[in-house]
Amino acid sequence: PPRSCTRQGSGAPAPGSGATIFALSSGQGRCGIAVIRTSGPASGHALRSLTAPRDLPPARSACLRLLSHPRSGEPLDRALVLWFPGPQSFTGEDCAEFHVHGGPAVVSGVLQALGSVPGLRPAEAEAGEFTRRAFAHGKLSLTEVEGLADLIHAETEAQRRQALRQLDGGLGHLRHGWAKTLTKALAHVEAYIDFGEDDNLEEGVLERADSQVRELELALSAHLRDARRGQRLRSGAHVVVAGPPNAGKSSLVNLLSRKPVSIVSPEPGTTRDVLEIPVDLAGFPALLSDTAGLREGVGPVEQEGVRRARERLQQADLILAVLDASDLASPSSRNFLDTVVAPAGAGSPNESSQRLLLVLNKSDLLPPGGPGPSPNLPPHLLLSCLTGEGLDDLLEALRKELAEVCGDPSTGPPLLTRARHQHHLQGCLDALGHYRQTKDLALAAEALRLARGHLGRITGGGSTEEVLDIIFRDFCVG
Amino acid sequence: MFSLRGCGPCVAASFTKKHLPLLRFIGDSAAPLSTNFDVVVIGGGHAGTEAAAAAARCGSRTLLLTHRVDTIGQMSCNPSFGGIGKGHLMREVDALDGLCSRICDQSGVHYKVLNRRKGPAVWGLRAQIDRKLYKQNMQKEILNTPLLTVQEGAVEDLILTEPEPEHTGKCRVSGVVLADGSTVHAESVVLTTGTFLRGVIVIGLETHPAGRLGDQPSIGLAQTLEKLGFVVGRLKTGTPPRIAKESINFSILNKQTPDNPSIPFSFINETVWIKPEDQLPCYLTHTNPRVDEIVLENLHLNSHIKETTRGPRYCPSIESKVLRFPNRLHQIWLEPEGMDSDLIYPQGLSVTLPAELQEKMITCIKGLEKAKMIQPGYGVQYDYLDPRQITPSLETHLVQRLFFAGQINGTTGYEEAAAQGVIAGINASLRVKRKPPFVISRTEGYIGVLIDDLTTLGTNEPYRMFTSRAEFRLSLRPDNADSRLTFRGYKEVGCVSQQRYERASRMKTSLEEGISVLKSIEFSSSKWKKLIPEASISIGKSLPLRALDVLKYEEVDMKLLAKAVPEPLKKYIKCRELAERLKIEATYESVLFHQQQQIKEVQRDEALQLPKDLDYLTLRDVSLSYEVREKLQFSRPETIGAASRIPGVTPAAIINLLRFVKTSQQRQMAVHELPRTDQSLCDTDRLEERQL
Repeated sequence: PPRSCTRQGSGAPAPGSGATIFALSSGQGRCGIAVIRTSGPASGHALRSLTAPRDLPPARSACLRLLSHPRSGEPLDRALVLWFPGPQSFTGEDCAEFHVHGGPAVVSGVLQALGSVPGLRPAEAEAGEFTRRAFAHGKLSLTEVEGLADLIHAETEAQRRQALRQLDGGLGHLRHGWAKTLTKALAHVEAYIDFGEDDNLEEGVLERADSQVRELELALSAHLRDARRGQRLRSGAHVVVAGPPNAGKSSLVNLLSRKPVSIVSPEPGTTRDVLEIPVDLAGFPALLSDTAGLREGVGPVEQEGVRRARERLQQADLILAVLDASDLASPSSRNFLDTVVAPAGAGSPNESSQRLLLVLNKSDLLPPGGPGPSPNLPPHLLLSCLTGEGLDDLLEALRKELAEVCGDPSTGPPLLTRARHQHHLQGCLDALGHYRQTKDLALAAEALRLARGHLGRITGGGSTEEVLDIIFRDFCVG
Repeated sequence: MFSLRGCGPCVAASFTKKHLPLLRFIGDSAAPLSTNFDVVVIGGGHAGTEAAAAAARCGSRTLLLTHRVDTIGQMSCNPSFGGIGKGHLMREVDALDGLCSRICDQSGVHYKVLNRRKGPAVWGLRAQIDRKLYKQNMQKEILNTPLLTVQEGAVEDLILTEPEPEHTGKCRVSGVVLADGSTVHAESVVLTTGTFLRGVIVIGLETHPAGRLGDQPSIGLAQTLEKLGFVVGRLKTGTPPRIAKESINFSILNKQTPDNPSIPFSFINETVWIKPEDQLPCYLTHTNPRVDEIVLENLHLNSHIKETTRGPRYCPSIESKVLRFPNRLHQIWLEPEGMDSDLIYPQGLSVTLPAELQEKMITCIKGLEKAKMIQPGYGVQYDYLDPRQITPSLETHLVQRLFFAGQINGTTGYEEAAAQGVIAGINASLRVKRKPPFVISRTEGYIGVLIDDLTTLGTNEPYRMFTSRAEFRLSLRPDNADSRLTFRGYKEVGCVSQQRYERASRMKTSLEEGISVLKSIEFSSSKWKKLIPEASISIGKSLPLRALDVLKYEEVDMKLLAKAVPEPLKKYIKCRELAERLKIEATYESVLFHQQQQIKEVQRDEALQLPKDLDYLTLRDVSLSYEVREKLQFSRPETIGAASRIPGVTPAAIINLLRFVKTSQQRQMAVHELPRTDQSLCDTDRLEERQL
């Protein structure tokens, strides 16, 4: 029939092949051009969808194309596109590349457009999943694979921090709440399938699951409508200034941001909450956080500040650890060195390690020409926030660290994380819609499993054992 | 291990094509029997019978060693087979030409498909089985299987020899020593000893060592296994009392009638041996607060419930039900034990109270007021071997050519045992022939899910199959087990008969043809609506609808469709199974496309084999944490896919493992390059296009 001819050769996914993935493969920060890459059988289809009505460009030659959203037709960017049919590609699969103008709006627009193409999903760990595919197709040498484990590890770590940031606070609780509701609804439907007939589940198990799913659907669609209205996520490397009380953290923040954002006083414990300032640090976009001095404190307000400071430390791309150079022997300094500086410094690629710069402030208080603070300290920089001495060295060190943080695409700019989250939330919502529409209970359960899979990509978890635990907790079966 | 209680003669029956009459070797203590076999299977339960028959079907000279020939095929617990998940396993066992499905089609007294209203992917074929008939039919089958010899004997020890250098393992099994001192030499040994390893029976506060009631446990063999270094765990299970049928007042209870028509378990049967009207009913009753009281007042008399041996999270006993879900009425199914049996099995009333309290409890249940307890319920505690010590072919890591199947691996249920039995039997035979193992992936069958769960995750409760364990549930359906497994069984291992293979091939062809015909018929939705007014087709969709899309509607089946479009569809309703399977394929068509994608991704990881001789603890130049190393060392995953399912093995660790896959692949690649003909042809064209 002629109907099917129009779809012929469009590169639509061949039956039985794996999913097609996409990701931003250039770093965040000041790049004029961002590279977005796809890999998998639907790559050709995706390229056509975004460049419609034009046909695929010749293999491996850059062509200028107008990108538009495949559903709305809304123009996104004028971009260079490349088409790499497999196996002559980085991964060995069909690949496409979009070289778009690097602004966050454009990048996020293109990522969302790709997410709307059937058969495409965001890569799980950006470079990692591409590299694994390349590996599977025999495109990597052994030495290249050596680095891969570290890369995946770094990526997992970066994503963990990224996810922690995004799941911080209310939004995180919300999403974990959804995952819990969904898992329970699924467990009850599964129980109804596996035990409904011989064992007595109480009345109304399915009805309750239905209404939970309905509520979840409403919550998710309201949330997605809100999210689209443009909740702005601040881009940049997360640099957290931490140290014991009165080491001069706020002075450093003020020095680096060149405006007094933090109240500075000689009194320990002045900063009780986390202050966050977007700054340009040595040429890189960064979010600088000033935190409460870490000490087992006084008063509930300061305690809460300390708790938040510790939380923020976990999310940091780079920790600026500040100590009072004249007060290194004090218990609070020693404690800080042991609990924050040492674990970060001792990290091997296999352990969870964080980038950290140790800054010894108040160098002006050291006796001039005297010996250094202590030979046993890990590598450190001397600084006086008061005189500005040592600032140039600090900026140079920051530049090196941030170049690595920002240049690594795996660090995952927040907009990509957000695009991934939105993709999965939308996927979850769509699956919940299918649940409602199907009559076959096995199909309905499949829709819930799919929905839970999407949510699990954001919140983690999602094992079968979790479902069985709920079944056996909630029902008397066996 | 199995002591021969009072029966002096060792009975062995052998049926090969040459010796058709039943051969009985009379065991003579003065002249111990010594023989050679390809495969020796120890144990005649549900795993043992399937293993022995499967090995023989594969062409291996097989010996089934059992403590008593007359207990072969004994259903030691519930008088039923199948159910949700378990029925799926039986269809797969049958697809590999296993026994239990066919025997059930000859021995059932009440056939009923569960989950009829919940979608064909989760239909649960189930039947009440006549214990006596099952045993008779199973023994007939076993004693008539070519190449299979049956012998009574108690296995006391394993004969161990030097390991084969090309395989891992610290030694190799080459036979067994019987209690009378005689030896049997074997190329492979399958151990299916169920709960007999240090089994203890518990009623009230009394415990005594035994396997099933009336049998002796095997302590000698358990010690041998422990000495070899196998990690042993302990599990508990139980069974309900049996009640005299004539003492029950059925007239006041809910009656459950069997299906009409009965759906057979086996692909090769059109129908079962008994008409629906001749089948027996089941009855339903409930517990009440008085039952709760008796359980709670007598906990101090109930050692099985108090002890720490791991019971399952689910509620197998009435005590656990009462304790964990108080103030509820619990269902009790009164199930017939057989056509002419005067016993009733109260499913759901598994109990370990002292016998007199059991009787007291029973008589306060509706319909059982005057019930006579014939045999009390009891608990069993037994050793199992941590199944992470076996490979997906069920061979042990420690001892070459030694296979474990059934309850010994920590599972519960006849069907779970049978499923492992088939796989162990096939692989024991393949091992003798030096052929690669036959492994079913979790993307291919519930058998794969079962064995993958056991070998990668282990278990600390009696493992039972549920459909919720299968992530590809919509693909692994009871209706299509033959297309998933029969062809593999026929072509790869030869465990499937020619007749079954041809039947499956015909069905496959008809299905494919039917689906493409259903795809080719297209009308507008308004025309379909006129043709099939019963269907709730929404008019107004501009695109034409395929017959396959119309068949997706719940209210449409092939009969209705063939009435609307007799040509060319009417030929597809002649066969009930074909018509039903077409309807099922249509129901799941859209979802299966996506599921196939996921399956492909899983299979890609499963194609990446890990070298078997990897010593994870000493592996150098790899950053793996000690915890991960220990986990890998213990479970010894065979593929990257399996490794990634072990809890605690991180993505980074997986990548490091990939390196080893890569190295070993490169070694193999040197031998023969992967064929890539079509791709290399394209490459020349592409090179000319290069402009960058």
